Amino acid sequence: MNRNIARAVAAVVAAVAVALPAFAGAYPLQVARNVMMYMALAITWDMLLRSGQISFGIAGLFGLGAYAAILGVVRGGMPVWLSIPFAAVVAAAAAFLLGFLILRLRAMYFSIVTLALAEMFRIVIHNLHDFTGGPEGIVMPAGVIFGGNAAALYWLTLAGLAVALAASWWFEKSRIRFALTAIGNNEISASSSGVNIFRWLLVAFTVTSGIQGLLGGIYVQSYGFATPDGVFSADFTLLPLAMALLGGMHGTVGPVLGAVLLGLVSEWLKLKIPYGHLIVYGIIIIIVILFMPAGILGLARKMSRGAEGGKS
Amino acid sequence: MAAKQNGNKGKHMALKRRTAILAALAAAATVLILLWKPTVINNGLQQAGLYAAIAIPMGLVLGIVHIVNLAHGEFMMVAAYATYFACKALGMDPLFAVLPAAAVTALLGWVVFRLTIQRALKAPELNQLILTFGIAIALTQVVNILFTSQTYKIPLEYVSASIDIGENTFPVWSYVFVATAILYAVGLRLFLTRTTAGKAAVAVGQNPRGAAIVGIDVNRSYGLVFALALALVGAMGALFLTKSAIFPQVGSPYTMKSFCLVAMAGIGNIPGILGASVLLGLSEQLLRAFRETRAWADIVFFVLIIAVILGRSVSWRRKK
Amino acid sequence: MKKLLSSLAALALVSGAAFAQSTIKIGGIWTLADITGKQGSAAAQLAVEEINAAGGINGKKLELIVADDEGKADKAAAAVEKLATVDKVEAFIGGMASGAEVGKIPAYAKYGKVVVATGAASSAIVEKALGPSPGSDYYFHLHPWDYNQGASYAEGWDAIQKKYPRIQIKKIFLAYEEGAFGKSSWDATKALFGADKRYTIDGAPFKSALLGGGDYTAVLEAAKAFKPDLFLWAGYDADALPMLEQAKALKFSPGIYLGAPPGWPIGFGSSKLARNVSLYGMWSPAMNDTNAASKKFYDAYVKKYREEPATYFALLSYDAVRILADGIKAAGSTEPAALIKALEATKYASPLGETITFKSSNIIKHQGITRQKILQWQNGIQEVIWPFEVATAEPVYPFPAWK
Repeated sequence: MNRNIARAVAAVVAAVAVALPAFAGAYPLQVARNVMMYMALAITWDMLLRSGQISFGIAGLFGLGAYAAILGVVRGGMPVWLSIPFAAVVAAAAAFLLGFLILRLRAMYFSIVTLALAEMFRIVIHNLHDFTGGPEGIVMPAGVIFGGNAAALYWLTLAGLAVALAASWWFEKSRIRFALTAIGNNEISASSSGVNIFRWLLVAFTVTSGIQGLLGGIYVQSYGFATPDGVFSADFTLLPLAMALLGGMHGTVGPVLGAVLLGLVSEWLKLKIPYGHLIVYGIIIIIVILFMPAGILGLARKMSRGAEGGKS
Repeated sequence: MAAKQNGNKGKHMALKRRTAILAALAAAATVLILLWKPTVINNGLQQAGLYAAIAIPMGLVLGIVHIVNLAHGEFMMVAAYATYFACKALGMDPLFAVLPAAAVTALLGWVVFRLTIQRALKAPELNQLILTFGIAIALTQVVNILFTSQTYKIPLEYVSASIDIGENTFPVWSYVFVATAILYAVGLRLFLTRTTAGKAAVAVGQNPRGAAIVGIDVNRSYGLVFALALALVGAMGALFLTKSAIFPQVGSPYTMKSFCLVAMAGIGNIPGILGASVLLGLSEQLLRAFRETRAWADIVFFVLIIAVILGRSVSWRRKK
Repeated sequence: MKKLLSSLAALALVSGAAFAQSTIKIGGIWTLADITGKQGSAAAQLAVEEINAAGGINGKKLELIVADDEGKADKAAAAVEKLATVDKVEAFIGGMASGAEVGKIPAYAKYGKVVVATGAASSAIVEKALGPSPGSDYYFHLHPWDYNQGASYAEGWDAIQKKYPRIQIKKIFLAYEEGAFGKSSWDATKALFGADKRYTIDGAPFKSALLGGGDYTAVLEAAKAFKPDLFLWAGYDADALPMLEQAKALKFSPGIYLGAPPGWPIGFGSSKLARNVSLYGMWSPAMNDTNAASKKFYDAYVKKYREEPATYFALLSYDAVRILADGIKAAGSTEPAALIKALEATKYASPLGETITFKSSNIIKHQGITRQKILQWQNGIQEVIWPFEVATAEPVYPFPAWK
């Protein structure tokens, strides 16, 4: 019963999301693109988190994908459409190779190393002036993909989000879920019960990094340029984290809710308080963490449990 | 049994030999650099002092309260702004503001701790991380609204102090950060091992539940440690103002650098932060001294961090 | 009573509609948390109020709607879409950081409405993304491109050496911050000063205090070893005083000590270290004595906001509104083709001390200002040294040795 309602809601939301360009103006579409981009990043971050590994390297893989896409076209002569999956492949390959080195690290040490790797990607791209355009950045000579058509750009970002959602759903439904939650809950008992920890972590890290790279590719083709400071911005690491946390971690729905909340709040605040909206933004993050420690989802669960308790 | 002991002895000897070789290599490298680029050591040590003096308080909080304070550098920024305006109003030198800045920042830290962080201590560690991220945004933006993004600096005569040796001129003011870092490290060691409050804090840090059972007020201990760390950050804010201009975002790069240094040293290892800072300060300055490597000075920080963390993880696994 | 109320409501409706028809809306996009954006939007608002007080444009009032780009490409794109489709503005002004400006260009191009841009100097990304005429004809770029700036400095120093033979420059050292701003300065300096071998050029990057740096000893040591006649640093205001203090510690005193930050720290002029530091810029309050337009702007701005305009970006935003308003007046409409034609005939006497017209630059067709100025801190004031026609003082040379 409950599951059917959830499915119906998901179907309606998906239909509305696909049909949005038919009835929304250019401004809501642009805001939706920004929200969906961060939403997809938040989902991929959460997917790895289900194993207990906290990555601070989202911006690194996002930026790597962004530069792979733009350099693939500008230096490699690749067709624009191909550059986006190419971005995913490059980021996934980098994550796969680096995974052998770093996936044995745990807790804060894993986080720090992913952060340091992200910075290293940025510095290398920053310093290879002749190949990457250096600190000033690099422009797509042909401009934005689809000639800048607002609806097409919206659907492109939506497609990126759909990939992240599908992967997250697959992680929740397939064997990988048991492996990851087993690792997240208790690694020693997981390995004694025959779960090959390293292999599953490597799969999760490669898949999530590949999607982050894909999103970087979509981003860079949607704006037609890349700068090291722009695509490796710490925002691409911290905002998805905050969104997943505010929505509720360890699932697909939480990051989605969190991204909608923070994304819309930040845009709305900007309209209301042009000077100083970021103060309120910071305070909202503080308050939500303090009063909804398990995110919106956690609060909703608590309230529905409370309501049921009241009935009985 | 005996064979095993012998084996252990052999391993021990090998370890000793390896340490000796490493020390000799480091000494040889130092002498070579001194002869070749004498200013590198001077500049590198002073830079290391700055890194360490800012990172040590973060190490204290992470080691005992177990939170990564993403607003660490922002608290230093607030202290520096407070110092600036106090100095402007009273015509005072920032050096006289070190202790008041420490007191004010400690008070601010204690209030922030009670109002926010303490309520999130039982939540997963990510909550505290994002909570302090929110605090960092709020602090930065409040300062930005009040004082704009323009920079402030008190011009000072003594920061240009230097010593001439032969053809080389050695600036020396930033040794004040080296002294501060050493003072912090030694002082904290004494506090944590010799005083009741310090011992209690260590006990809380190692086992909060056990400490509560023996009657230690855990939250009070956490609050005290947090306030103490912020006092050290506040004092650094006043000192930082002597060397640097200040603006709303001035603290945030130091948050990340401190976090990296603490991780490199290993959680709870405060003297290790000194070592990590020296390694980073010297290698950065060494790369900056040569035309070919100048642009890559930034990357050495991250390469070293990854190398140290991976190296340690491998040696841990071997021990197991 | 009821009747009165309903007629009042009707009146309000009618006047509202009439009001909507009699205003011309322009959208302004800046990074509002930054001083350049905060003051740029304030100066633009001042221009709007002055124009309206003088009767508006062809009987219509001007209205400025401000949006924040937060210095980010995606937020900047959203700001353009909001102004274009929700507020339905007729033209755009603003812009500062190149990385945010490129994010706006696809949306600007889609609507084709006139843009008078006040910042964004990076030709490598902004001018390239705009592309050649006629696709980019809607875009009127006020601020000089990076290569314009470099060329005008080379021209300026040539002229100064000719006029003041005691000033001799053979060797130039550039300390540049390692980001986009510094790197493009370095490229332009190498290309323009190093071109015909009259100058020997060297340079080294440093990490700006703005990005977590702040130790300049390595770059200053390299500069000192090179023994330059002219030492130039391209960084931000946070670097200004610490770099001087460290130069003093190293006893490094070149013949000319020159800085090129977009703004200077508060109270820089009152510091002893500031004495005879040269700088690049476009405007200084010292020009109030020689330029009536400058004085008029300055007095009005200080009266309205009770603070000094800290950088020339305030004046560029003021100019953008003025130029746009003159163009709309001449065109008699905001229809892009007519407005572009009218703006091409712009001859605007700017408080920056020059007459702004639009000419072709390397790629685009409508480039406004191409010259920067060479100034010098003298007795706490930025005096203009070059161009000579707007100069307010003679250069003091050489930069005093440290005591």
